[in-house]
Formats: sequence, structure tokens, C-alpha cells
Amino acid sequence: MIPVEHYVVLSAVLFTIGGIGFLWRRNVIVTLMSIEIMLNAVNLALVAFNRLPSHSANSVHTGQVFTFFIIAAEAAEVAVGLAIVLSLFRIRRTVRSDEADLLKN
Amino acid sequence: MGYAFFYICAALAVLGALATIAAKNPIRGAMGLLLMILSIAGLFLALHAQFLAAIQLIVYAGAIVVLFLFVIMLLGPSASTPSDHRGRITRAIGAGLFGAASLGAIALLVTSTPKAPFGPTGYPSPPSDFGSVEAFGRIIFTQGLVPFELSSALLLVAIVGAVAVARGRHASDPNANVITGAATLEAANLPHAGQAPRTPGGLTREAP
Amino acid sequence: MKSLFSLFSPNDFSLLAVVLLMPLLGAFINGVFGRRLGKQAVRMMALTAVGISFAAAVTTFAALNSAVDTATTAHGHAEHTKLSWLAWEWMQISGPRGGQISIDLKFSVDALSGVMMLVITGVGFLIHVYASEYMIADKGYWRFFCYLNLFIFAMLVLVLGDSLPVLFVGWEGVGLCSYLLIGFWYQKLPNAAAGKKAFIANRIGDFGLIVAMFLLVVYCGALDWDGIQRHANDLVALSDRPGPINLWPIGGGRFEDLVIGGLRIPLHHLQPDKPWTITAATAVSLMLFLGATGKSAQLPLYVWLPDAMAGPTPVSALIHAATMVTAGIYLICRLSFVFVLSPAAMIVVAFTGALTALLAATIAVVQNDIKRVLAYSTVSQLGFMVLGVGVGAFTAGFFHVFTHAFFKACLFLGAGSVIHAMHARIHDENNSQDMRNMGGLKAYMPITFWTFAASTLCIVGFPGTSGFFSKDEILARVLIETPAGVKLANAQAPWQWPSWAPWVLWAIGIAAATLTAFYMSRAVFLTFFGEFRGWTVGRPSQLAHDEHGHAEEESAEDGDHDDHGHHEDLSQPGLPPHESPRPMTIPLLFLAAAAVVAGIFNPAAIKLVNEHFSFLPLEHWLDPVFEDASRGIALLDHHAAHTRELISTAGAFSAFALGSAVAYWIYIMEGGRPARELMLKVPRLYRLVLDKWRVDEAYDKTVIASVDALADTAVSVDQGVIDFILARLSALIVAATGTILRVVQNGVVHVYAAIMVVGLVGLGWFFVQPHAEFTVQEQNGDYTVVAGPGPGYAFRWYPDATKEPQTKDFSVADNIKIRLADGMSQTVKLEVKNAFGRIDSKAVTITRPAAPGSGAAMQVKEK
Repeated sequence: MIPVEHYVVLSAVLFTIGGIGFLWRRNVIVTLMSIEIMLNAVNLALVAFNRLPSHSANSVHTGQVFTFFIIAAEAAEVAVGLAIVLSLFRIRRTVRSDEADLLKN
Repeated sequence: MGYAFFYICAALAVLGALATIAAKNPIRGAMGLLLMILSIAGLFLALHAQFLAAIQLIVYAGAIVVLFLFVIMLLGPSASTPSDHRGRITRAIGAGLFGAASLGAIALLVTSTPKAPFGPTGYPSPPSDFGSVEAFGRIIFTQGLVPFELSSALLLVAIVGAVAVARGRHASDPNANVITGAATLEAANLPHAGQAPRTPGGLTREAP
Repeated sequence: MKSLFSLFSPNDFSLLAVVLLMPLLGAFINGVFGRRLGKQAVRMMALTAVGISFAAAVTTFAALNSAVDTATTAHGHAEHTKLSWLAWEWMQISGPRGGQISIDLKFSVDALSGVMMLVITGVGFLIHVYASEYMIADKGYWRFFCYLNLFIFAMLVLVLGDSLPVLFVGWEGVGLCSYLLIGFWYQKLPNAAAGKKAFIANRIGDFGLIVAMFLLVVYCGALDWDGIQRHANDLVALSDRPGPINLWPIGGGRFEDLVIGGLRIPLHHLQPDKPWTITAATAVSLMLFLGATGKSAQLPLYVWLPDAMAGPTPVSALIHAATMVTAGIYLICRLSFVFVLSPAAMIVVAFTGALTALLAATIAVVQNDIKRVLAYSTVSQLGFMVLGVGVGAFTAGFFHVFTHAFFKACLFLGAGSVIHAMHARIHDENNSQDMRNMGGLKAYMPITFWTFAASTLCIVGFPGTSGFFSKDEILARVLIETPAGVKLANAQAPWQWPSWAPWVLWAIGIAAATLTAFYMSRAVFLTFFGEFRGWTVGRPSQLAHDEHGHAEEESAEDGDHDDHGHHEDLSQPGLPPHESPRPMTIPLLFLAAAAVVAGIFNPAAIKLVNEHFSFLPLEHWLDPVFEDASRGIALLDHHAAHTRELISTAGAFSAFALGSAVAYWIYIMEGGRPARELMLKVPRLYRLVLDKWRVDEAYDKTVIASVDALADTAVSVDQGVIDFILARLSALIVAATGTILRVVQNGVVHVYAAIMVVGLVGLGWFFVQPHAEFTVQEQNGDYTVVAGPGPGYAFRWYPDATKEPQTKDFSVADNIKIRLADGMSQTVKLEVKNAFGRIDSKAVTITRPAAPGSGAAMQVKEK
């Protein structure tokens, strides 16, 4: 069996990559995809922890159920996020986040 | 055997993620995302989460990545931005600090955790229906009923919201569709690409 | 009657509530609903209110009388009785020796306030009747009666209050009503200015009253009359706390040389050999007298009273003749037992009164406006009253208050009647009041003439009238009585009056009395005798077609317009001046009658003729009130007193005779010619006296000018410093800070995210790196070291830093107990490990002090 730490480290690495991508890139589509990477990393960690023995019979699958709902909510978030990207494009004709600075100063 | 599978999937996942954040062309980024998702689905399988792996493939790879591709193609050439050096320092500070802190934390964790309570072979074997659809269904419709219903409501709200946000000002505004029409034609490189339904200006025409 | 009185017990005499609250009710209804009610309803409400109050006051007085009788038969001698009523518990303040002083809204009637109450409600009622006709044409009729009723209420609160704070409430109330009523026709600026002047001059006096209250709290520990009387001796007692009041050095310090760096300022020369002190009694008396000068128009605060004539004449009669201005003398009489403790203060009071009397009399001699003459006459008579109480003749002074209320009110109302008649054709305010335009009104206004003349006889001291008995009594008492203070065992001997003081005071008083006789006779002769100088009175046939004159009589002293649409042509013959209507003349008759016969209440001068005469009802009535005060007054022995009384009466009679005779000679026999010639011979002196000795102008240039300068300084500080530096500079700083901070807000989301990361990393550092903190507590001789908690912390203690730890592994034990012997010290070290495996440590040295209970704190040194 693969120790759970391996999965957790992998999840952390993926999370870091996603975070760096979110902070570095200016293209909003790429930032949205970075958010996807971060969420996937979290899902992986959750499912990995689910593999450990649980305290009671009711919570055997808690991690997986949690991940299930994260995927559902996350799909909704992506839909709305892309709708916002489209709105931004329609108004400003750009997908660069640093050109959406109407709240400047 | 298990280790090899794990390491291959892990390497592919990291590769995909790096590709996503580094690619200039957003289509390449989406492909990287797809690769990462497939790898993660594989890892789910290794963790006895079959149902979740299937869901991952269906929802992520089959819907979300497709959605991304739709939007990228809708935007057309504007989807990839010319890179310049504006705001470099801020971004570097932000990303660099985050990366350093993160990697430092990971290193700290790795070096400081005590020995695993179970050895490499110490995990108890899971019950036979661990991660199966039946087990899932049982939980979702008994203990997890409320989150389930709420998430369906959430999805409804998201749909309505996305439609409302993306619709634009006037539904019957012909210019609202000018992007769609011209971009698709141009992307397809058809001879009638330049003839937008309304204006010669095409993409560069400002929306009212 | 007895059954009526048994309804109210002496300690809860709630009939006082009727006396007090009926005028308040009248004021409220007239004030709130008056405009809609119409003039007749307002008049009915106001008169009923004061009438019922008067009836209740008479009943109360009768009850008081029977209570006094009961007390006298029970105790054998007259004892100070009073009926009181507690309306409301107001507040408690902490007293000087611990304990609480309770200040309550408590009202009481005793001999002194009973008489005042009757005067206020009785004369007030008559003046209300007069005013209800006098002001009938005014648009602000309802407002007038609201204020007038409110004034009666406030004045009653003043005299019926059982303690100094309640008196002060009434004091302020009458000041307020005086302001409102003087400035009743506020559309004209001089009237409003006169109201303001009255209020501000009163305010200066109120400062004195408040300081006196503070001193009384500190020294006597009480503010109600009984309490002050009980502890009055504390005001002069020689004790260290609170001790006498230090005048120099102020506050009781010492002047030492001031050393700044190497500079030595020799201030020790300012230190007197012995500190200058005054007793608290002197201080309290002087401060109370300051309040009295403000209210009763003495030097130097009398300047508001002549200007107050800008108000309607009934206001002048009620407030500035009969009631409000006597509040100061009432206060002095009320606290007589405090005043007699300080002969030094009383000499100040006496001289102030005498000088005021003389000064005002000199000014009144040359005034031409009839109301001005009466105003200065009031100031002068108030000076007499103050002179009376200043030498310790409290009964005589108060008796003069009593009689003065009647004859001065009658004089003012008579003057109002005359002005009312003059106003028929002369609409200009100043001219209609000018005596030079009057004359010969005796024939046209007989009732007014006879009442005015009767009151004048009283005021000049014609033998047999009330004024004779009261004013000349004061002059006699000046020679007989001298305040000597009270010799107490634990106090310094009080300062004694110089022997020339009574004679000087008497001389000033006689001079003032002579001038009083002169100017009052002059006023009567100019107004009522001779030929009418206002306009030519036509024969009835001439006037058959001239109906205009009659129509004007509505707007008596309206103040809104001083000439009607058509100019009154005074060269044309007009209707003769007419007598006033009945509501105006009937009060005049009552007041004049009272003025003439009021002497019956204290005809002390008859004792000169008949040694055994003892029908002195007022003196016997007020004896219990002034009993405590009389121990501080030295009387001459019987024979010497008798001689001096004769001298004084002779002097007073000659003053009256001389003054009246000279006035008669100048104005009746010579037709005013000698006066005019004198005026031409000394024009500058005449101008000076006519301008009231230019006192107002002196005040303008000194006091007012300095206040103006202060205001100008304040404005320039406000504009230069506060507006410029503080406001603009702080605005500049804020704007600059904002500009600097705005750089961060560039609207770009990932910049915000980057900033968030910075914050997160800082937070993360706190989690990653453990921090060792602890506190040392002492408990029953054991020291407990408690470690501060943290996320995932495990602790390892080293009870002695040099030795082994308590446990080898890290555990969750977060405190450790140390026991030390005296004088021993020990170093305790703490190591903290968090979930990341990082370790931090901290050590402390605890030392127990050498001897137990030595008071030294334990020493904790941290490393």
C-alpha cells in the first residue's frame, strides 16, 4: 500500500502549482483553470484521507462524499465564472485581469 | 506495481498542472488540465474510490474541460493575450512568496511527521463495497440528503446565474451575437469569414 | 376654621401647592392655548389663577397665624413656626464630613415668607386686573398674561422655598420672566436690548449666589434654612479644616522664590507676614450680597432697572417695584443669622445701600420721563431697604419692603394711567411719557391724581403715612443699632464698626430723603398742576367734528407704531385727556388706600411720644424669625437710643419739609423758572447728571470692551489656529495618507490576491514557528508558572534550568509549581514544540524576597 503521506505531498504540490498559476498568470481563463487544479488537489487529499480507518461505521465514506459535493459545487462555480469571463470580454474586449481595473483608486 | 502506477499518475498530474499554468495558448492549457484530471481519476481508482473516479471523468473531463474549450473557442484569438511585463514585480512577489511558503511547509511536514502508524503494508483492507455506487447511494440518500438537495438547488441557481450574466444587455441585440458569428466563421477559415451579418468592422466594433 | 386647618398638617401643608401651582396652571394654559382662546378667556384664566392663589395665600396665612398662636401658648414665648410641604425629593449630594446632603423641592411658610406671599399674590392680583385693561389692544395679550402668571409662580417659589437651591430656582425664574416681560415688544431693538441687559446684570449677581451656596455646603454642610441656622457658627469657627478663607496668598499657599535654571525670581517678598484671611461668614455674606445687588439693583449692578422701563407699565409696577427687586432684601432677611456673624460684610451692605440711595436720588432729580423718575426712585428706595438690613434693622427694612410695594405699585400704575391718557394724541413713546408735555391733569384725571398724590405723600415721609413709619424708622435705626458680630468661644473676635459709621450713613440717608421729597414733589407738580402742555384742549363745540382722538385710545403704548397713518396735528385743539376706565382705577384706589394705612402695622415712631406704646404687630410677628440674628446687633442703651431717635425723626421730618417746600417754591410758585436758570448756569453738570453720571458709558468702555476684546481674540484664534492649522493641516495629512494608500488599490484582482498571500504567509509563520510565553503567579507562597497555549503545542519543563527536564518527552502539562525558601532563587525554563517539530524556549528567574511580609514584591527576571 502506498502511505497516505505520499498522496498528501502530491496534493500539496499540485495545490502549490495551482496557487502559483493563479497568482502569476493574468489571463482569466488560465486563472480559472488554476483554481480547478487547486480544487482537484484538495479532492485528492480528501480521498486519500478517506482511506484511513474511520472511527465509526457511519463515517466510512465521509471523505468521498465530501469530494462528491465539492465536485458538484465546483462545477457550478466554473459555469458562473466562465459566464463572468464572457461578460468581461463583452465589455472590455479583453481577458486580462489587469485591464479590469474600474475600481482603481 | 502499485508504486509504479502511483508514480506515473503523479508525474502526469504534475506535468499536466505545469502545462496548464505555463502554456501561452489556452487550448494547450486546457489539454494540460485534461491530462491532470485523468491522472487524478487514476489515483482515485488506486484509492478504492471507483465511483468518484467515474464521476471525475464524467463531470470534469467530460463537462468542465469541454466548457473551458467552448469559451476559449468562443473568444477566438483574443483568448490568448500578448504577454508583457506589466505588474511583474507584484506578481512575482505574490507567486514567489506563496510558492516558497508552500514548499517550505511541505518540506517541514515531510521532515517532521512521526513514523506512519501503519507501515507500507499496514492499511487494513477495506470492506468489499468500499467506494461503490451502492455505498455511495446509501449515504447520499440517508445521511447526506440535505447537502444533496441543497447542491441541486445550487446547480439550479448557478445555471440561472450563468445565463443571466452571460446574456448581455439585450437578448435581441444583434451585436450581442456578433462575436459568436464572426468568431466561429473566422476560426473555421471559411471564405465568408469577413462578412459579418451587420458590420464590416467585425470583432473590433464596440458593443453599444 | 380649625377644622380646615386640621386637614393639613404643619409638615405636609399641601395648600401651598394651590398657592404655587395655580399661577403655573394659568401660565401653561395661556401659553399653550392662549392664542386660540381669545382675549376674554385669557383674561379670565389669568385673573382666576392669581385670585385663587391669593385666596389660598390668605387661608395659609390664617393657618400660620393659628399655628403660631398654638406654639406661643404651648411654649410661653414666640417661637419660630413654619408650615412646610415636601413636593419632591430632588437629589443628594455628598457633604463635607461624609454623609449626604439632600436637596429637596420643599416649600415652607413662616412669618417672613407669609407676609411676602400675601404681598406677591395680593398686589399681583391688583396689577393683573389693571393690566387686563391696559393691554387690551395688544396682539400679544395671551403671551403677556402667560409670562405674568409665570412670574407670579417663580416669585412664589423664591419666597416659599425652604432651601437655598429652591430659592435659586425661583431667583432664576424671576430673572427669566423679567427678561421676557421687559422685552415684550421685542420687535423694537431697544426693548430687546433692555431685556438682555437685565438678564445679564442679574446673571452676574447669580454667580455670587452660587459661590455662596458652595461655601455653605463646605462650611455648614446644609443648604436649607434650618440646617444653615443650626450650623451657622461653623462659618466663623477657628478650625483648620476648612478654616478661614485665604485672600492672600490665594488658596493658602506660600510664595517661594521661583527658580528656573540659574535664574532666581525673588517672589518671597510677596509673602505677607501673616496671611490675609477673611472668615467664611464674611465671604458667604459678600457673595450673597452680590446676588442681592444684581436682583435688587444696587451699585454696581443697578444699571438694568432704568432701562427696564422699556417694558409695559404693569410689568414695571409688578416686577420692578413691588416684588422681584425685593428678592435681594428677602434673601438678606432670610439669612440674617449668617450676615450678623460678619460686621465687615454688613458695613459693605450698609454703605452700598446708602450710596445707591443717594446716587439714584441725584439722577432722579433731573429726569424728565415720568417712568424714569419712578425707576430711579425705586433704586433709591431699595437703597434705603438695603441700608436698613445692613445696619441690622431687619424688621424696619422689611417693613419698608412691605409699604414700598403698595405705594410704588400705585405710583407706577398711576403713571401708566397718565401715559394712557397722553397716548390718545401723542403717539410717540418718548414724548407721551415726558413730564414737560404734561401738567394740569388734576382736573382731567381726578382719581389718578388723588391716588398718585397719596402715594407720593407716603414716599416722601409725610407724618402718619406708611412711608413715614417705615422709611424714617430705618433712618432712626441707623443711629441706634450697630452690628457687633457674635463672640464665640472658638472664633476670632469679629471686626467692629468704626464709631463714625452710623453718623455718616445717617447723613447720606437724610440727604437722599431730602432729594426724594424734592423729586417726587416735582413729579407731582409737573404732571398734575399748572397748565396742560400736551396740546390745546378745545371747547366741545370746536371738537364736534373731530372724532379721531377717541379712536386712538385703543392702542395705548402699543409700541408697534409710533405714528399712525395720519399725523396727529397737535396744534389743532383736541379732546381733553380722559380718566382711565374702571379696571384701571379700582386697583389704584386699593393700592393707595393700603399705602396710606399700612403704617398701622408697625408704627414704631409713636414710641417717641408714648413710651409704653407697644402696638407693633409686624415687629412682634417677625421677632421669632430675627431672634437668632438679634444676638449679633448691639443696641444703645435706652436713654441714648431715645435721644438719637428724636434726632433722627427731627432730621427726617426736616428732610421731608425742606424737599417738598423747595419743590413747591420752584414749580408752583415760580413756575419752574429757577430750575431753568440753574440748568443754564451749570450746563455740563446738568448734562452729566441727566446722563445718569455716565455709568453705563463707563461700563461700556471697560467691562464690555474687554469682553469684546476677548471675543475678538477668540475669533482670531479660531480662524488662525483652529481653522487654519488644525482643520486644514489635518485635512492635508489625511489627504496625503489617502494618496499614499491609494496606490495599493489599483483595482486589479491578482494584486489583491498577492497582498493576501503576504498576509497569509505572516499568519502561517505564526503557526509554523512556536512561541514560548508564560506568566508567573503567586498563590499562598507557591509560585505557579503557567504557559501560554498554542496550536499543537507540547511543553517540556525544566524546573531548574541547569538540571534535567521534568519529563523526557514533551507533554501537554502547561504549568509547573515551584516552592522556594526565603531568599532563594531558581531559574525555570520552558521548551515548546509544535506540530511541525520546531522548538522554542524561554527561561525566567524567580526570587523570593529575603524576609516574608517585607513588602518587597517577588522579582521576576526574564531571559
